Amino acid sequence: MIEVINPGLFSLIVDGGRQGRGALGVPLSSALDGYAYRALSMLLKNDRLAAIEAMGPNFAVRFSAPLVCALTGARVRAFLDDDPVADWSSFPVRTGQTLRVRQILQGARYYLAFSRPLVLDEFMASFSTNLDARFGGYQGRPLAKGDIIETGEDRDVPPAFVVPSSIPDLTPPHRLRVLVGPEADHFSEEDLAGFFSADGPFRYRVSRSANRVGIRLEGGPPLTFRDGVPRSIVSEPLLPGTVQVPGDGLPIIVLYERTIGGYARAAVVCRADLPLLAHLRPGDAVSFMKISEEEARLDHEEAVGALKIQEIEGADH
Amino acid sequence: MTVKPYGEEGIRVSFGNEITLETHDQVRRCYFHLSRVKRPFIRDIIPSFTCVLVVFDDTLVSRRKATAALEEDLSRLGESDPPPPAFHEIPVRYGGEDGPDCPFVCRHTGLTLEELIEIHTSVTYTVFTVGFTPGFPYLGILDERIRVPRLETPRIRVPAGSVGLAQGQTGIYPCESPGGWQIIGRTETELFNPRREPFSLMAIGDKVRFVRL
Repeated sequence: MIEVINPGLFSLIVDGGRQGRGALGVPLSSALDGYAYRALSMLLKNDRLAAIEAMGPNFAVRFSAPLVCALTGARVRAFLDDDPVADWSSFPVRTGQTLRVRQILQGARYYLAFSRPLVLDEFMASFSTNLDARFGGYQGRPLAKGDIIETGEDRDVPPAFVVPSSIPDLTPPHRLRVLVGPEADHFSEEDLAGFFSADGPFRYRVSRSANRVGIRLEGGPPLTFRDGVPRSIVSEPLLPGTVQVPGDGLPIIVLYERTIGGYARAAVVCRADLPLLAHLRPGDAVSFMKISEEEARLDHEEAVGALKIQEIEGADH
Repeated sequence: MTVKPYGEEGIRVSFGNEITLETHDQVRRCYFHLSRVKRPFIRDIIPSFTCVLVVFDDTLVSRRKATAALEEDLSRLGESDPPPPAFHEIPVRYGGEDGPDCPFVCRHTGLTLEELIEIHTSVTYTVFTVGFTPGFPYLGILDERIRVPRLETPRIRVPAGSVGLAQGQTGIYPCESPGGWQIIGRTETELFNPRREPFSLMAIGDKVRFVRL
């Protein structure tokens, strides 16, 4: 089993998401950094993993069974007892050892998963936590000090690491590649041209009220609605990464916790840049850059192909 | 009906931008038809007031092919009827602690609490869509006499089962959550159960009647 010694700033159980239940208002609730989650899957040779998504320093878990642990996402300084362990890698853990994340060097959310499966209930074929309706994950809630997660039979996986060229740079400023959204024409043409060019005046800062539902941006020019256009729309289904603009003209980026929304959708963050949204921190600079759907598709394919791991030869495991 | 792209994986089938029962019937027919045809490249189908979003898997099919297949399916919308809607009776305690916004709603509408309850319980509502949180039904169409704006400052916590009003709609909060609707009452009925199919008590098109407790 695994005991939560310190949940850090905020941690919860996630996976690849709860698919296909949008008509019931059930959102994906996926790992925010899908690339880091996929890296865990590759390191542990398991694409149905329940993983821990955590934020902030001081996160610590103690293991009462030997296993292989993998750590990806934000760049962190982590220790197994007193020995440093590399992020974006997997490493063997002995009974009684404690893994601690002491410092976040780059990005915001980091991910942990294990060679032993976590014994948790699946809801609608997913382990992800739905915090609104309080189901999935660990008792439908964030992890807390003293929580004990049972683990199952170990699987034999060799320790491995993600090759350095596959580890993303998470340093701000963030230039998010976007497609034009369904209601982009609700805004003045002049503003839109500026909004869609990353180097124009339409640069924003991540607000302090950013969370797992959405990222509010501030500190930049509000988008001007065209004359006669209503300030909200009849609520419509949402895709993750949609850039909604409420009446105040300041963008909100929707993540994986809502299925519908009633604000004009000016843009949609490309899939290649969705993982980056997990790492936007309050105060970070954000701008948008319009690309074509074909470019987005190629960027996505490139990101999928970029992830490479290497097994550690002769490792004792 | 228009078919348009949205993001990298979305196709929006849109039936205008008016919240009416006619539009709703088209959305519902489209949703059930596409769900029944169940093209293998479709990952999700999400209906709303005026639109059906189809999320497709572009590792299986290109947008061009997905759109063409969908348009073919949409040309046969008349060939299958959606299932008959379920009917739900929802017992509600109105006013007092269960309906903290009744005083505001009464002031705003000029109605007494009795009149407000009488009007709210006199209509058979239609579930226009389910969303916001799992199982949250958006119900219409609200009587003109009890239309009120949203709260200026949304509440941080609205209790589960709260029955609210906002503009042309009434709805029920399945779980405790933040919310900006004017709360007029509360029900004990369970609207969402993640452990039991079909998970959400209500589906698009279901009919709902509130009953005073």
